[in-house]
Amino acid sequence: MLAFLVQRISQAFLVMFVISMIAFAIQDGLGDPLQELVGMSVSMEERDAIREDMGLNDPIYVQYARFAGNALQGDLGISYFYGKPTLQVIAEHLPATLELVIGASLIILVFSVPIGVYAAIRPQAFLSKFFMGISTVGISIPVFLTAIVLIQLFSIGVTIEVFPADTGWGVWLNGALSTDGGLPSYGRGDELTHFFGTWNSGFFSSDGLWHLVLPCVSLASIMLPLFIRLIRAEMMEVLQSDYIRYARAKGLSSGRINFLHALKNTMLPVITVGGVQLGIMVAYTILTETVFQWPGMGLMFLEAITRSDIPLIVAYLMVVGLVFVITNTIVDLIYGLVNPTVKLTGKKA
Amino acid sequence: MALLEVKNLDVRFAVRGGDLIALRGISFSLDKGERLGLVGESGAGKSVAAFSILNLIAQPGYIAGGQILFEGKDLAAMSERELRKIRGNRIAMIFQDPMMTLNPVLTIGTQMVEAIKAHRRISTKDARAIAVDKLRKVQIPSPEKRLDQYPHELSGGMRQRVIIAIALLLDPEIIIADEPTTALDVTIQAEIMALLLDLCEQENVALMLITHDLGVVSQVSQRMLVMYSGRIIEQGPTREIINDAQHPYTQGLINALPQMGEPGARLFQIPGAMPSLKNVPSGCPFNPRCSFVTDKCRSTMPEYVRAGNVEVACYEVERLIAQEQQAREVAP
Amino acid sequence: MMTATVSRWARVRDSFLWYSFKRDKIAIISFIVLLAMVLSAIFAPLLAPTDPYDLAQIDIMNSELPPLGMSGADGAFPLGTDAQGRDMLSTILYGTRVSLMIGFGAVILQAVLGILFGLLAGYMGGRVDAILMRIADVQLSFSTLMVAIIVGAVFKASFGSIMFGEIAIYMLIFIIGVAEWPQIARTVRASVLAEKKKEYVDAAKVMGFRTNRIMFRHILPNTLSPIFVIGTVQIANAIISEAALSFLGLGMPETQPSLGSLIKSGFDYIQSGSWWITLLPGLVLVVLVLVINLLGDWLRDVMNPRLYKG
Repeated sequence: MLAFLVQRISQAFLVMFVISMIAFAIQDGLGDPLQELVGMSVSMEERDAIREDMGLNDPIYVQYARFAGNALQGDLGISYFYGKPTLQVIAEHLPATLELVIGASLIILVFSVPIGVYAAIRPQAFLSKFFMGISTVGISIPVFLTAIVLIQLFSIGVTIEVFPADTGWGVWLNGALSTDGGLPSYGRGDELTHFFGTWNSGFFSSDGLWHLVLPCVSLASIMLPLFIRLIRAEMMEVLQSDYIRYARAKGLSSGRINFLHALKNTMLPVITVGGVQLGIMVAYTILTETVFQWPGMGLMFLEAITRSDIPLIVAYLMVVGLVFVITNTIVDLIYGLVNPTVKLTGKKA
Repeated sequence: MALLEVKNLDVRFAVRGGDLIALRGISFSLDKGERLGLVGESGAGKSVAAFSILNLIAQPGYIAGGQILFEGKDLAAMSERELRKIRGNRIAMIFQDPMMTLNPVLTIGTQMVEAIKAHRRISTKDARAIAVDKLRKVQIPSPEKRLDQYPHELSGGMRQRVIIAIALLLDPEIIIADEPTTALDVTIQAEIMALLLDLCEQENVALMLITHDLGVVSQVSQRMLVMYSGRIIEQGPTREIINDAQHPYTQGLINALPQMGEPGARLFQIPGAMPSLKNVPSGCPFNPRCSFVTDKCRSTMPEYVRAGNVEVACYEVERLIAQEQQAREVAP
Repeated sequence: MMTATVSRWARVRDSFLWYSFKRDKIAIISFIVLLAMVLSAIFAPLLAPTDPYDLAQIDIMNSELPPLGMSGADGAFPLGTDAQGRDMLSTILYGTRVSLMIGFGAVILQAVLGILFGLLAGYMGGRVDAILMRIADVQLSFSTLMVAIIVGAVFKASFGSIMFGEIAIYMLIFIIGVAEWPQIARTVRASVLAEKKKEYVDAAKVMGFRTNRIMFRHILPNTLSPIFVIGTVQIANAIISEAALSFLGLGMPETQPSLGSLIKSGFDYIQSGSWWITLLPGLVLVVLVLVINLLGDWLRDVMNPRLYKG
């Protein structure tokens, strides 16, 4: 286990090193700190002096070492726009994004496992085909479009008057297809509960929870079909295996075979792929937050791009990189813990 | 009454464009404590026959006809619920590859205890005691420790011992073993086979051994069946068949054994290969490879005839028997 | 010449691909829809009632007209108009054209990169393989969309909005192509490793063919069918990625809209009830991506019968 741990963690450091180099290159290539510090009126000589002072004339590797050293101490510069340390800005926006991801993950977890398992156990059932059809369509709808449709349906509301109003069924159809709307589609609401530090949570008030509904459903909508397909495919493969047939030959109940023998083997690959997908969800939060004006890291990043707030962009990259690396490493470690065949060497036995 | 009696069993695979016939008119019986060998090339339908007894044929296979009478009750007509009470409990199975048979993510103990608990109301502690006892019987060292280990921590030979122990857990009447030693190292094959035989004899369990190894069958079983292309072409006492095989295919199999040839000489080969299920020739399925083939062989399937205690399906044998009888009638 | 084409047609007609296509209603419908969309995109300048790039044809008085069937609709604009008074039908036709161009362009680029790096990694093995696959792993774990957003952001920041807008098509093809190459590279590498074990490669080596020739003339043709399957799905992914980037303002400018930037510009008007400006291009985008995905599923099933039907 130790060798496995060391291998994974050193790999994580390597990836972080590469990300920091990229971030540094962006800062070095795009940001001119002088522009922000001093006005246009400062003479060439003075500029050069400040340049020298700030170490901007040092060799590139010295500058990188300084950048990396500062980053390790939690200093990723000052945001041009907010005028505050970038990490503080990110810390203020992080909870909103995390709550969005947690909410979406819960939706995914609650729906993907039962649907995926059901579709694997009864591949020919009408309901299975229905779910698989829906998930193919779901994969084809970009997350921001789902969000817009949800807003139209449940926030703005739809009034249908296509069917004749003078017949009973027409009125009924119009009513059945119309929606009231009214769900919040903008921001996190006003009733946030202060948790600790910069964490203001929407989980503890009905207003906060209502504001979470549409963004979380949108974010979940892109991942849910992937998870359903993944679980189904893995489970179907497991169900073909010899040890499942052997479990039947032992006279076990189908419940125990499906939900212990098969599901446990199914979840192993799902954990790895799923963990990576969870990291990928961070990319989709940018889209979701843009549609719902959700004050999280994604929206902050996009605003930083339009404002050319280079230090904040760089800090976001570093933080998101770290989140990716940490999730991937944790997923690997959990996989190692759950899967009895991964031991010591980190290779499958 | 035989313990297990299979009558006219038909098994088919439902595929696009009609059914493939995997087993056709299989009939045999197994007595209490008897050891029966089932021989044939791969693809002859041995495994399908073994799995169909407990109705465990993989999709899209299904039992299309016939009866499987176990203590007089028809397993083929039983509900899944009733069948479950027999699987592992009265009839146990041993699979071919011990590497694939045990669930990789569950401990040996879990997989043994659940098998007992599926059939008996018993505490986990008592179930573990039974498991330890059976592991000891299959000569696994420090059995208590094994219960908490995962399959991948054991060698292939050890795993097959565990599987034999699981088969014995509930003292079944029959064990069906599908090539139980094929996947193992040659050095331990004999060891595992000897162990299996000893235990079956000790506990008076009937054994149905499926194998492609005629050598093993000749040493182990009292009676044997020879399968070809989904049919039993010859069955009877092992000794009679080995000493005086009737069917040309069985003769070919026996001649192909290394100990039958001269040292250094080329081994005998049956020309051609067994047809796949998709294009079984009409008549006797062996006819394209047979040196005694006649037009009749190509058109209709021969019925079983008796030669001594052996039942065989072959027109050539039928002809020889008739000739003999004529000679006998003329002689006196 | 004539006989060659006839026999080629006969080969197609007798192939398993054609056989299973004929039997699969979903594949046939998807193909017809896709073909119609591709053709109308190619001939958009002929089919579209107006030219949305031409400011002279736009009248702001016509802005936010609803599509036919709703009160206030104008027969001249069957799908209504957007906030600037542009005909929705025309903008959608031109937008589909842009989206498809970027989708195909990006997949061609990633196929070139992916095949090159995949062949290199698979055939060379050793350190080349380790480095290339590590890069691919990191990029994939970072998610291709994230990589595309970051590269897009950096480009936009360094080129400036106006310059970026002018060359946006090429930028997007480049960004998406670079972000997605690992998918194809992995597939190619896996099939190269499988092919490498086969005898014909040894035979080619023994006969003294050079490495390049062995790679491109002998191994590559045998890895084409998985590339084809992945490539189809990747077109759908590229179109979605482009739409996402455009929606974030990192893609096509509003003056030369793709489906994504149409959805973006319409989104601002959804609260005022003009749903068609954003949802009509959205619907077209979904249909386009869906039929490509369905064809991809079908191809995967046909070319790899081992996999389960999806």
